[in-house]
Amino acid sequence: MALDLDEIAAALALGDADAFAWWLARAEPALRRSLASFATHIDVESILQESLLRVWQVAARYQPDGKPNGLLRLAMRIAHNLAIDAVRRDRTGVRDFDDSDDANTPSIEPVEPDPLLRQAVERCHAELPDRPRAALEARVASGGASPDRALAEALGMRLNTFLQNVTRARQLLAACLERRGIRLDEVWR
Amino acid sequence: MTADERARLVEQTASAWRPRDRDGRVRAHPAWYDLDDTGRREAFEAAAGIRWIEASLDREGLSSTARAVLVRIGRDR
Repeated sequence: MALDLDEIAAALALGDADAFAWWLARAEPALRRSLASFATHIDVESILQESLLRVWQVAARYQPDGKPNGLLRLAMRIAHNLAIDAVRRDRTGVRDFDDSDDANTPSIEPVEPDPLLRQAVERCHAELPDRPRAALEARVASGGASPDRALAEALGMRLNTFLQNVTRARQLLAACLERRGIRLDEVWR
Repeated sequence: MTADERARLVEQTASAWRPRDRDGRVRAHPAWYDLDDTGRREAFEAAAGIRWIEASLDREGLSSTARAVLVRIGRDR
C-alpha cells in the first residue's frame, strides 16, 4: 500500500513537532530527488532546508485535499519555486536551464525506512576505522549546526584531515554496502 | 584547482551546515560557488548518499538535514 504522509496532518495542525519529524524522515529523500535537475544551478541543500522551514510555517494551516501526500506536493511546489527564484536571482547561473522542462517536474514517492537496509548500514558503520568514524559521527551529532572547521577543531584535526576522513568514511561505507549488494548511488534515487 | 582542493570543496558542500543571512534565511555553502558543474553534481550526489546513511543510523530515521531543520524550529537542541 502506498505511503500517505498526510496521515499526520491532524497532529501537524496542533503544531506537533514530533509529527513533523516523522514527516521529515519520510519526505526528505523525495524532496531532495525532486531538486536534482537544479544541482548545477543552485546549492540544493540550502534550498531544501529553507523549503522545509517554510513547510513547518504553513503546516498548521494545511488542509488535505483528499489526494495522498498533499503536504509533500505542497513542499515540492515551495522548493521548486524557491529554486527557480534562486536561479533567476543569479542570472549568470542560468545558462541552459529551462524551468518549463518536464524533466524538472518532481515525482511523489515518499519512502518508509527499510529495516534490512538500516541493519546493513549499522554493520558497515561499525566496521569503520576510528578516525573516519569519528569525523562522520561529528557531522551527524552536530545536525548541521556547526561548520566543518569547528567540528575538526573539536576532534583535534586540521580541516583538511577532517574532510579527508569524512570522504574516506563515505567511500568505505559505500564499498561495504556494495559487498552486501546495496549500491549507495542507487538507494536514494 | 588541484584534485585535492576540488575534493575538499565537494565534501564541504555535501555537509548539512549552511550559513544564514541577516533575516535568518538559509544560504548556499561558500564552497559551492567555487565548484564547476561536475563538482556541483558530485556534491549533490554525495549529499544524497550520506543523508541516506545518516537517516539509516538515526533512531528516528532523520538525516543531518532534517536535524538542522528541527533545531531551527526549536524541537531539537
